[in-house]
Order: sequence, then C-alpha cells, then structure tokens
Amino acid sequence: MDVAKETIARLESAETFGYHADSPSATEPVALSAIALISADRHARAATLLHWLVEHQAEDGSLGVNAEQTTPCWPTSWAIVAWALARSTPVADLKFAKAGQRAVNWLTSVQGELIERTGATGHDTMIPGWPWVRGTHAWAEPTAIALLALRHAGLEDHPRTRQAAALLRDRLLPNGGMNYGNTIVFGQELRPHVQPTGLCMLALPAESLPNDRIHKALAYLAKRLPQTQATASLCYGLLGTAAWNRLPNDSQSWLEVACRRTLDRDPAPYKLALLSLAGRGTACPLLVASRTMVTP
Amino acid sequence: MKNWTSQLPNYDTESRRVHSFDRRTLLVATGAAVAGLATLPLIRRANRLTEPAFVARNQRYDGQLEQTIHDGLIATGFDPARIKGKSVLLKPNLVEPTRKCPQMTTHPAVVVAAGEVFRRWGANVIVGEGPGHMRDTEMALIESGMDEALRDAQLPFVDLNYGEVGWVANAGGTSPLPGFHFPKHVIEADLIVSMPKMKTHHWVGYTASMKNLYGVIPGIKYGWPKNVLHYAGIPQSIYDINASLPNTVAVVDGIVGMEGDGPILGSAKSMGVIVVGTNPTAVDATVGRMMGFDPARIEYLSLAANRLGPVDADCIEQRGERWESVAQPFEVIDDPRLQLLLDADLRAT
Repeated sequence: MDVAKETIARLESAETFGYHADSPSATEPVALSAIALISADRHARAATLLHWLVEHQAEDGSLGVNAEQTTPCWPTSWAIVAWALARSTPVADLKFAKAGQRAVNWLTSVQGELIERTGATGHDTMIPGWPWVRGTHAWAEPTAIALLALRHAGLEDHPRTRQAAALLRDRLLPNGGMNYGNTIVFGQELRPHVQPTGLCMLALPAESLPNDRIHKALAYLAKRLPQTQATASLCYGLLGTAAWNRLPNDSQSWLEVACRRTLDRDPAPYKLALLSLAGRGTACPLLVASRTMVTP
Repeated sequence: MKNWTSQLPNYDTESRRVHSFDRRTLLVATGAAVAGLATLPLIRRANRLTEPAFVARNQRYDGQLEQTIHDGLIATGFDPARIKGKSVLLKPNLVEPTRKCPQMTTHPAVVVAAGEVFRRWGANVIVGEGPGHMRDTEMALIESGMDEALRDAQLPFVDLNYGEVGWVANAGGTSPLPGFHFPKHVIEADLIVSMPKMKTHHWVGYTASMKNLYGVIPGIKYGWPKNVLHYAGIPQSIYDINASLPNTVAVVDGIVGMEGDGPILGSAKSMGVIVVGTNPTAVDATVGRMMGFDPARIEYLSLAANRLGPVDADCIEQRGERWESVAQPFEVIDDPRLQLLLDADLRAT
C-alpha cells in the first residue's frame, strides 16, 4: 500500500476536516491537513484550508478549536505552523504572513498559570509554558505545539521558545518518555505515553549534548512503537524519532497497517494527515531542522 | 501564582461562551432540558428519604455479569419499560489505560454485560468516554481491551473528547463554573450509566460513579488533564457535573479494584463485587464503606448528601449482599489528608 498516495487522495477529496470521519472541520485537523497537502504539492487544496484558518482567526490573532467554539485557543499554534510552511511555496500569500504574525503575537502573550511548589508533584511548576485553556497550568502537548510553532516562525532565540524547551525537558520522565505533563506525584513516577513523547521529541530543538532524559525518551519510543497500533500515537512517535534521526527501519510497514485500519474504521482527515506526514519520515516538513545525531 | 485548589472564575473556555450561544448550542441545550424534565421521575429521586444500593459478591469477569447487573437494576427500582426505544450511554473509566495495569480501568466484560442488559430492554446503547490523560482515544481503547470487546459485541463507541458540544447551566452551583460544555451524545442520552472502577484516589480519597463522570467532559474544551475542573475545585466540580446531568445510574466494577496510589498507580485489590444502583450518591457511599472510608468525610459526597442522594448508612437500603459482609479496607498512601478520610472503627473490625 502506498500510504502517501492513499492519504493524500482522501484529503484532497474530503469535504470536512475533522477528528473523525464525519465530524465537522476543526482547526487542528484543518492545519495538519494543509501541511500534509503542501508537502505533497497539492497547493490548490492546501490554499483553501489555509484560507479557512485565516477566516476563523479572531481579532486577537487566536483560533478556537473549531468554527463554533472560539475558545480555548490551543490550536492557534498549528495554524502558525501551516502558514509558516506556506511561505516558500506557490501558495505563499501576504494574508497568511500577516495572519501568522498576529497569531504569534497572541501565542507569545499567553502562558500557563504558575503554581507554588508543594512537594506533591515532581515537575517544576514555575516554568512558564502553554495551557490547554487560559487560566490553567501549562501542560506538555500545548507547550510542544507552541514550541514547534515558534521555531517554524523563525523565533528560535525568543525567550518563550527557550522557556518552552526548558519546560519540556523538565517534564520528561526520569525513566523515559513523557505523558500529559506530570512526572512524579506523591513520590511515584507516572507512566509515559507514546503520543506526547513523540510530539515532545518532534518539537525540542537540537542539543549538542542531549541529556539522559532525551536518550531515555528515544529509547522508550524505540521500545513502544513496534507495539503501537493506534494511528495518532504511532505517527507522533515516528515523527519524534525522525526528528532525532532515529526512525525505525520498519516504520513504513507499521504505517501501512495503521493506514489500512484507519481507512477501514475511521478515515478521519486528522489521522490521514498524520499518516501522510509521518510517512514522509525525515523529509516531513514538520521537522524544523536536523538534530545532532544521538549516540545510542 | 495559584495553588491547586484556587478558584479562577475567568477561564476562557467559559467566559466567552457563556454569553454567546449559537443556534445549535441553544437547540441542543434546550432539547436536553426538555428531555431531562420529561424523564426526571425515571431516576432522580433525591427528595426520597432513602435510596437502595445493590451489592453482588463472588463476581468474576467470566461469570454471569449480565444477570447480576439486570438483578441489581431491578432490585434498586429501575423500570425497564421506561428505557425502551431510548438512548443509553454507558460511561466506563478509561482515564489512562495500559495493558500493564488492568485494575485502573473498567473491565470490558462489565461494559459488554451492561450493554446486553439495556439492549434486551429495547434501548439504543452506545459506549462513550473522554479519556482524561490521553489525547489518543484510539490508544485508550486498544490498551484497555475495550476496542476488541466492543467490536465483538457490536456496541458502538463515541469519543467524548472531540465531538460536538452543547452548553448546560451548572445546576450544582458549588464551583465558580457557570455551566458545562457537555458532548452532544451526553446531552441527548436518556440515561447515562456511570461504570467506574472501584479505586482509591490520591486527591479525593476514592473514586466511583460520581467522579467517573469527569470523563464526560470534553478534552477539546477542558484539556488533558481537564485542568479547568481542578482549578474550579475537584469535589465541587464533581458535585456540579453530577447535579447538571439529568439521569444517571451506577454500575461499579469492583471485581478487581485498585488500592494504594490510585487512581493510576495503585495495586490490584480483588474484591469480587459489583455494586449497582439508581442513585449514584447512595452507590458511592456504599462503595466507600466497603473500601474502609467514611463517606461523610469525602468532600464531594458531603456536598451531594441529601441533595443528590443519601450518604448516611441508615438512609441507604441494602439490596443483595450486605456491604459489611464483603468489606475489605483498601490501603491508601501515607498522607495525613487521606488518613483523615478513613473509618477507623470499620478498619479495626
């Protein structure tokens, strides 16, 4: 099975871009689908999605989770990535550049609530990151997506970019991997999950000397990915390994199985876009720049 | 800077939406209100002085669970005729499933058995969950074993984290949240069956059918974890969610529960019980006693007492086995907050 061909064909003909096959369009799947279509040179279809994002941007630069729900605004980061990746393509448009700048302005104005450290939790609750919902604490995945957005926007040296990377490194589990963003609670280390670990590794910038937790996170992905059937987790896990030049040799065959399962059960544009992007391996446009090769 | 229990009234998920109903939201919410009022006498009887709770012992995942759940519902006053042709949503606990820790999540056999009971009564049954710690719901289904079991049983699953939502006013009013964005499938359900695992919980003491309904809150609006609820106060938001849902019954998987550092990292605790009831407050109070807690000291139950149902043992009619005959104290983590919630007399016996 040609995963790229199957997924892109479906995305090109999709009428809505949601989390499930028949669900309405939502910001995150629209942005991911736009990125997938750009990377497959399907510029006309990509442009319609990029315009959808512009049309659903609020005055303050943010985007809600879908057309009807204007808050919370965590998917704004994905729109920034999509508009940034359109820059050097035939769909480049001043509209997208302006929208992206407004979105970046909004993103850099938002941070999670800081919490006094009590000893109950192991992570550093005082590092500013991004919350799912404004007025709450910062968590792993919204911070990882924000980091990815700032890096794609060319803000590698922005203070918020450095804070985001610091938060993600702090939330990596001592024994490997990442979950939603808690490390140790009441003295016990929590369990890692594939999706947040992959997304975190995708977002983190290169390090000349990757720390022990980076090595362990990559080792966790290497161990878990062969058993991972769920599409989104598999795709994010593979993207995380690709970003650190650790893509498993069997990744394409795993993606084929996941693609068949997705087409059979729930051909959701969200999953199709992820399959398409993960299928591009180290050529995936979500990867900001090649990382320092990690020594096993 | 805030602490975990501080109350922030201005979450963006609430503040902008509460004044901006769109037509669909309004229709869904209005429909739910009408449907809720129409079926209110079916379940909610908080004004009654007593409520029943049914306990079955010697239960096994490969046993006669369908019969047990059927008997439990009938014994606690459920009228099957009222659910014929109606929609029933089964809500298991799949907070953060992993094959390594089956005691964390509701066993698929219990869900399939409950599904059969309601289908035989002519209901349209779906299973729904919005996992609290995992964005990838497909992963949660696979890791919990629910994916395969539901497919075999031909029970449809709905992802409550990403579906359409409607606005429902907060009928409890103990948290600062003005209302909840409930998934359409939750709003439109004629009956919600809360199907928790019997577990300790390191923040609130223990978790059963009331806390399990955190899982109807959509992650896309509230996050992973559903941190908005934490800031609003965990006990308060548990109470408010339960008060805002019209028709709920409880089927608790206590065959193998979790003790120690629940709700995620605790150890398996074999109890062999299924607890069923048409009043979740009464069910949860009974479950707590079986685990060695004093339910009156559990904050969300103290809020619910005599509003949503009884907590006092004298006001809970025991059906099936007496809870005392199957009680086995659950270990809790060594934390003074939690030690205060235990029933020392019960544990001494």
